[in-house]
Amino acid sequence: MHADRTNRTLLIVLALLMLGAGLAAGAASLGGFGTATKNSTLMDNPTGHYFGANGAWLWPVIALAALIIGLLALRWLIALLFSTDRSGDLMIKSSTGAGRTTLVNRALTDAVVGEIEGYRGVDSAQARLIGDPDDPELVVRAVLEETADLTALRQRIETGALAHARQALGNMSLPAQLDLTITSRRSARVV
Amino acid sequence: MRLVNRVLAALLSLALLAAAVLLIATVVADRTSHHEGIVHWRAAYHWAQHNAWAAASIRVACGILILAGLVLLVAELKPARVSRLPADPAEAGADAIDTAYTRRGLAAAIRSAVSAVDGVRSNSVKVKRRTVKITATASAQDRTAARSLRDPITDAVRQRLSALKLRRTLSVSVRVAPRSH
Repeated sequence: MHADRTNRTLLIVLALLMLGAGLAAGAASLGGFGTATKNSTLMDNPTGHYFGANGAWLWPVIALAALIIGLLALRWLIALLFSTDRSGDLMIKSSTGAGRTTLVNRALTDAVVGEIEGYRGVDSAQARLIGDPDDPELVVRAVLEETADLTALRQRIETGALAHARQALGNMSLPAQLDLTITSRRSARVV
Repeated sequence: MRLVNRVLAALLSLALLAAAVLLIATVVADRTSHHEGIVHWRAAYHWAQHNAWAAASIRVACGILILAGLVLLVAELKPARVSRLPADPAEAGADAIDTAYTRRGLAAAIRSAVSAVDGVRSNSVKVKRRTVKITATASAQDRTAARSLRDPITDAVRQRLSALKLRRTLSVSVRVAPRSH
């Protein structure tokens, strides 16, 4: 998922911090906190004095906080670079409860793509399983030729390839997302 | 926006990581050997001790911070551009399938429908959440002839949209300009 929600939240926090710091310092600079503050130096304020008086223990505490923030930033960076929303291989439950069947993720998505690309009027297709392997969602993207009967083709994908995928997983209510795009390119395939 | 956010997030996480490492290294260097270490913080400290809040450089820095913060905040809070337009579930072939046309795909379909209208030289299509805006250029240089293309283009677009059977009916806005000399 590349931590999209975390990214947005932290970027909003950063924007608010920048705005807050800019407005507060701007107000101090323009005399919003009094002429004395406006004309005093940057270090000549209660915070500066507190740091001056308590630096012996304050800086090691700040260093410790920096260590925690650094570790969290490292975790965030790793999530950004390496996380994925794709499901792993799927366990198929048998009706008798005996035995165990594992369906390789790629086998299912390749079969879905193969079936959809076999329909007349489909230029190309992509499929992936996302989410928890126990509760996956099938996401399919199909590029349709504009000359095709688009509604009929949509229904064929829904009742054909997607229904077959649900059957294969033994889950007829498997959530599915179908993204259709249209191209003016004519397929060279003969079906 | 998602991709831009990922790049910004990567830069921000790297900056936080680098700042944390530098701060720790500086505190450790100061405590163990009373040296500055990598960051020459004494120069910055000296500068802060001799510059007032009213300094021009502080005002410029505040202006930059406010502007950058505002731009980032507006960009993050702005509703994302619609990327998929849901198809009518009444036409679905099965339950629990979220079917939609991509915005680009829809624009391509409309563009080709407009191109097929006699007298249209070129066109551009913008698909938004509720509207489709078409800007076409007529083959004719005559303004009246160009204006007469408005209805056929609107009909062609409505026909294409009706064939796609979207959940929400999009309003169509057409502008036709004559070909320039």
